[in-house]
Amino acid sequence: MSGILELHGLTRRYGELVALDDLSFSVPAGRVVGFLGPNGAGKTTTMRAVFGLTDLDAGTVRWNGAPVGPSQRRRFGYMPEERGLYPTMRVDEQLEYLGRLHGMSAPDAAAATTAWLDRLGIADRADSKVETLSHGNQQRVQLAAALLHGPEMLVLDEPLAGLDPVGIDAIADVLVEEARSGCCVLFSSHQLDLVEDICEAVTIIDHGRLVVSGDVDDLLTSGQRRLVVRVQGDRDGAWARRIPGVTVSEVDGGAVRLVLDEAVDSDAVLETARTAGRITEFVFERRRLSEVFREALA
Amino acid sequence: MNGVVKAIVVAAVVAVAAFRIWRRRRARSRAQTARPPRPLFAPVFGDVGLVAAREVQARMRGKIFRIGTVLILAGVAAGIVIPVLHKGKHPVRVGVVGVLSAPMKEAVLASATQLHTTVRLIAEPNAAAASTDLRSGRIGFAIVDGRELAVKKPIASTDASTRAQLVRAVAETIGVQKAFASAGLSSAQAKQLAHAKPLPVASLEPGSISNTTAAVSTIGLILLFVMLTQYNAWTLMGVMEEKTSRVAEVLLATVRPVRLLTGKVLGIAVTVFAQAGLIVAFALVLAKAVGSDVLHGAGPRLIVSTLVWLVLGYAFYCWLYAAAGSMSTRQDQVQALALPLSLPILFGYVIALTTVASGSPSRLFDVLAYLPPTAPFAMPVLVSLGRATWWEFAASAAISVVCTVGVAMLATVVYRRAILRIGRRVRLRELVSRTAR
Repeated sequence: MSGILELHGLTRRYGELVALDDLSFSVPAGRVVGFLGPNGAGKTTTMRAVFGLTDLDAGTVRWNGAPVGPSQRRRFGYMPEERGLYPTMRVDEQLEYLGRLHGMSAPDAAAATTAWLDRLGIADRADSKVETLSHGNQQRVQLAAALLHGPEMLVLDEPLAGLDPVGIDAIADVLVEEARSGCCVLFSSHQLDLVEDICEAVTIIDHGRLVVSGDVDDLLTSGQRRLVVRVQGDRDGAWARRIPGVTVSEVDGGAVRLVLDEAVDSDAVLETARTAGRITEFVFERRRLSEVFREALA
Repeated sequence: MNGVVKAIVVAAVVAVAAFRIWRRRRARSRAQTARPPRPLFAPVFGDVGLVAAREVQARMRGKIFRIGTVLILAGVAAGIVIPVLHKGKHPVRVGVVGVLSAPMKEAVLASATQLHTTVRLIAEPNAAAASTDLRSGRIGFAIVDGRELAVKKPIASTDASTRAQLVRAVAETIGVQKAFASAGLSSAQAKQLAHAKPLPVASLEPGSISNTTAAVSTIGLILLFVMLTQYNAWTLMGVMEEKTSRVAEVLLATVRPVRLLTGKVLGIAVTVFAQAGLIVAFALVLAKAVGSDVLHGAGPRLIVSTLVWLVLGYAFYCWLYAAAGSMSTRQDQVQALALPLSLPILFGYVIALTTVASGSPSRLFDVLAYLPPTAPFAMPVLVSLGRATWWEFAASAAISVVCTVGVAMLATVVYRRAILRIGRRVRLRELVSRTAR
């Protein structure tokens, strides 16, 4: 199972409001891609466009080079931002029904329902009505609905919202596992720390436009190097201020945060620090995704 | 009459047994968490069939459907059985003061037979005793010395009860008998004259509706109104629930809007057929068992026509109600949208009932029988009155089908544009404008 989702020049206007403004990016198979942006950036509109739920003014959505149509969408899995399940329908019947709408045979849908409910730890609620389940369990059912038919691509709008840490771990594990098995996974979230942990790549949009897109590792290690140095007895980082190309960005309880210009040799910094006293900490610091996000939107 | 009682007892036993079996099966099903049987037609129509099958399953499992069906069956049974039980069951008790001559007695009995009832003559010692029995209700009326009839309260000319008709018939018959006697006719001559058959009268237009036909027609109209209202409400609420629970977004990611909507209305239509078919079958079997007049005259024609228009009526209105459901997100919005849609149904129902009562359709009523919103009520009434030929019936049905196609196309556009819009109520103007998508 492999493929690539390509979005080209997506444009959508609601009167004066431009929801999507010539937005283009791609999501390769086998990776978990975080889809980020502030509220109203156009994330949900983009995800809906993949499923034909939003009419576009311009642009195309392609899967493996071919325009996405109803037959392709049956092989996709979708978890919308607002959970969508029949409240008074039994969990197992609901999942089987949704599985069959994705083209599964009745026995396959029943088997997949049992397997996924078991995998997500809610097998004992199979015969319960959805409305009697907790928020977290409803979320698990919704995720099972998206995964049941073994989709080639998963699009999940805020799948982690409102979940406790156990629920987040369960869903995160599933997403990573799906990506490892070759599925294309795109999900949106405002929980940037979690996105940083789960995703291998992110796409950040704002006002319907692409702002940043790339591997998480590259984004977090890009820009100026950062060092955290702790020298016994040093309280103000005066030793570091003498080094050309080094800026002291923060001094916090003896830990001095330094920003190094490209030409600065970190060994030279280490040597200088030794002259100031015994070094108890010397580590390169990665940027946080939240910093990348803020910088991107600044 | 024994047959009627036996039929009722058998029906009751079957109903109780069926209920017990159903309860036991449901309990077993819940204990084993067994899944319900899959509807057979699901694989035939693809995703439309799956949506329809889910709809049928959800509706038929609902308490509203089950209780509603039982209530309707009970109403139909009452409508069929009660007239049969009353027909000739209780003879009209007639007090007789003085002597009633043999020809007069024979004439009274003949009048009762003509009215499909029987009389029981009660000898009264005097007029005062007859008055006492009249006041107490022991007798329906009294023949006093063969010269006058006594009743408790005056009988209005519009009173169509069996007793009132019998009083009028007996008064006329005895009057004629007395006239024969004063004219000096022999009893044989009087008998010959009394049994004189009137000449058949040919009318240019059909006559008024018979009591049985009127009853069937009225029951049919009530069922049409109740079922159309119920099924339309299902459609409206079902679409709104899918919108507000956001399940529509999940479904539409896989199923095209037109197919999702078609599956939904098709599923409810199947439920319509099932419920209506059950009711008609039950009515026919019961009517046959108890010897009801429903199966004679215009009855069968009327039943078929009512069934046809139930389907055509649902087919026409369901799209409108589905579109309305897709535009609303709250209960109060639903009511505001449903009211204008229900007005033509209510208007058609009321004017049809009035026409059945009068037996004479107006020119307006004739026109309403060709307009799809009111035809489901008006056309069956014209059929019951013998005022619609087969081609007029077919023409009205064809107009309804053509309009239904147009309404369905418009409703699909509205549904597609409105179903995913959450928040304030979506205005129709926003949806049908060129820029709306």
